[in-house]
Amino acid sequence: MFAAPETHPHDLPTFHSQISMPYTLTPGRAAGTFLAEMPNRRIVGSRFPDGTVIAPAQDFSPVDGEEPEALVQAPETGVLTAFTRVNGDVIGLVRLDGCANEFPHRILADLDVLSVGQRVAAQWSDGDEGTSITAIKGFALAPDAPEGKVIDLADPAEPLGVINYSMSLDFDHAYGPYYGRMFDEIREHGRVMGVRVSNGDDALLPPREVDDVTHKRTGTWKACGNTGTIRGCSIINMEILGQARKPPYVYAEIVLDGASTRMIHVIDIDDLESAKEKIRPGTRVRAIWTDGERQGRVSDIDRFEVIEE
Amino acid sequence: MGREVGIVGVGQTHHSRRRTDVSQAGLVREAVNRALADAKLSMDEIDTVVVATGPVLFAAVNQPEKWVVDAIGAQGKSVVRLTSGGGAGFAGALAGYYQVAGGYSERTLVVAYDKLSEGQLQYSISTLYDPFWGREFAVGIMGFSAAYWRARMDVLGHTEEAAAMVSAKNRKNSIANPYAHVKKEVTVEEVLNSKPLCWPIKLLDVPPISDGAAAIVLSNEKLAHHSTTRPAWIRGIAYCCEADNAPERSLMLSEPLAIAAKKVYRAAGITNPRRQFDVVEVQEPYSCFELNYYESLGLCPPGEAADLIASGATQLDGDIPVNPSGGCMGANPIGAVGVIRLIEGATQVMGRNESHQITGANTALVQSGGGWANLRGCAVLSA
Repeated sequence: MFAAPETHPHDLPTFHSQISMPYTLTPGRAAGTFLAEMPNRRIVGSRFPDGTVIAPAQDFSPVDGEEPEALVQAPETGVLTAFTRVNGDVIGLVRLDGCANEFPHRILADLDVLSVGQRVAAQWSDGDEGTSITAIKGFALAPDAPEGKVIDLADPAEPLGVINYSMSLDFDHAYGPYYGRMFDEIREHGRVMGVRVSNGDDALLPPREVDDVTHKRTGTWKACGNTGTIRGCSIINMEILGQARKPPYVYAEIVLDGASTRMIHVIDIDDLESAKEKIRPGTRVRAIWTDGERQGRVSDIDRFEVIEE
Repeated sequence: MGREVGIVGVGQTHHSRRRTDVSQAGLVREAVNRALADAKLSMDEIDTVVVATGPVLFAAVNQPEKWVVDAIGAQGKSVVRLTSGGGAGFAGALAGYYQVAGGYSERTLVVAYDKLSEGQLQYSISTLYDPFWGREFAVGIMGFSAAYWRARMDVLGHTEEAAAMVSAKNRKNSIANPYAHVKKEVTVEEVLNSKPLCWPIKLLDVPPISDGAAAIVLSNEKLAHHSTTRPAWIRGIAYCCEADNAPERSLMLSEPLAIAAKKVYRAAGITNPRRQFDVVEVQEPYSCFELNYYESLGLCPPGEAADLIASGATQLDGDIPVNPSGGCMGANPIGAVGVIRLIEGATQVMGRNESHQITGANTALVQSGGGWANLRGCAVLSA
C-alpha cells in the first residue's frame, strides 16, 4: 500500500526576489484615442456596423470581433448597473446612455445611498491627470440628468502610440528541504553542498530529492570544492537591465570539484582579447567569497577567479 | 497514428521592430484574418483555437488570450493558450495537431505572436532561471547560448566564421521575404567584425527584436479540399525535452532535437534527410544554433556543420537549402516564430512561397525550439 510520507507545514524563512521592469505598451487605435481625448474631457466610444456603441472605445466588438466603423463621442451620463466597495472606495459599472456595455469606474457616493438603476454622471478631475482614465474622477449620482446622446466625434486627437508602464513584482519563495540545507550551509559555513547521485560519488547541484538520470532517490550530502572547471563561458560586453555587474565580464557555467552539474557565476576580466585566450572551457577557477556578511545566496560567492598554472 | 492533418491556410503580419498602431490583440487579428481568408473560411467554421505566446513578462499582460478572443471573434469556442518560450508557436501547432489528429476537432486555428517592443527582452528571459540558483548572474538567453557555442567551437569546430556564413546567408535570403523587416546584405567579414555582445555572439549573429503574429489553419482530410487543392500535410511532428540541470547534459548536440527527429523521421519515412528534404526551415535565434541543428537533424554527421555551410549546400541553390525565408534574421517575434517557420515550410510544399520558392519542393523539414535549449522539435511537411 502507498504510504504518504509525513509532512508538517510550518513557517520557515523564505527567499525574497523581485522582478521589476519598465514597459512601453501599445493601446491600439481605439483605446489610444480614448486616452488621448481624456484631457479634452470627451469620452470616446466605438460604433460597430450593427449600430452597437461601446465605451470606452475598443478596436474589436465584444459581440463578434468586428472592427468599429467609427469612433464616436459617448455621453457623460448613464445608469448604475452594479457596485461594490473595495479598500474604502466604491466602484461600480455604469452603462452610458446609448451604449451596450458597462464602464467600470469609481462611484462618488456612499454605498448605502446607492441602488441599481440610479442615474449617474461623470465628474471630471480638477487636477491635471494627463491622458489617464483618472481624468474622470468618477461617476456621481445625478437623478435629474437628461438622457445623453451618442454623437459624432469631431476632430479626434491622434491616438496614443505608446504608454509608459512599469511593473514590480515581489516574491517570497519557499526553499524546501534541499535548497534550505544548501543555503544554510552557504550562509553558516561558506561552503557549497550538494547531494550524491544515486549510483556514484559526484554531487548534484542544486541538490534534489530524485536523481534525474536514474530516477532513484539521491544519496547523502557532500561538500563540493571551492575550485572547479569551466564547462561553458561567454564574454558579456553589453548592458542589459537587471545585470549584477558592469560589463565586460565573463558569464561562466562552472562544475565545482566533486559535482557533476553546473553553477552559473561570473569572472572579472581586464579586457576582451586576453579573456578570449585565458578563459575557456576546461579552465580551472576558484570561488572568491564575499568580504561582507553572507546572506545565504549564490551571490555570497562574489566571483570566480582563474587559477594561474 | 491518428487522422491525417494538413495546413490549409496561412497568414502572418508584416513584422516590424515596433508596431504602435495596433495592440497585441490587433496584431493577432491581422494574422488570423489573413489565415482565414487564405483558407477560404470564416471563424464560424473553426472548431477550436490555440493561442501561443512567449512568457507573459515580455509584454505585461497576464492571460492575454482573454483579450485575443474578443479581437478574433472566438467567443464560445474551445480556446487554450500555450506558452513554451521560443518554441511557443511550434508547441501551439503541436497542440492543434493533436486536436485534429485525435478527431476532437475538424479544423483548428493556431495563432502565435509576441510584441517584443513592449518589454525588456533579455531581462524577461533571465527570470526564467531558477530564482535561487542562477538568476542572480543570468544574462538572458544570450549569455548561455554563447557559452555553449564557445564549447562547441573547441569540440565540433563550429567556428565564428562558420556561424558568420549562416548569418550572411539568412540575411541575404530575407531581402526577398515580404514579411521580414531586416533586409540588408552583410558579408562574413562584417559579421566577424561586428560588436561582440556576448562573445562569441556578435551583433550580426543576433536576429532583430520584432512585433509580429502568425496563424495557420489545420484541417482534417475530409474538409481540407474546401480550402485548397494542395494542403501541406503534416507527416510527423514532435517536440521533446531534456532536463535543465541533468548531469549528463552535454549541449554539444541538441539531444531533444535528435530524439524528436528520430520519431518524426520514422513517422514520415525519412531515412536519408539530406537527400529526401527539398527545403529546411529552422529557428536560429543566434547564427550558431543553425550549425547545431544541421547535426542534430542529421543533415550532416556530428562535427561537420561548418563544412556543410562552407560547401554552399544550404544556400538557395544548394542541394539542401536552409531558411530560404531568411529565418529569424529577417524578423524574430519570438513566440510566433515556430508558426512562421511552419508557414514557410508549408508554402514551399504548396508551391506558393513568397520569398524564394524552391522549384519542385515536395517535402520540407521544419525545426523550432525554446527553453534553455532543452525544448526542441521538428516536423515534416509534404504535399
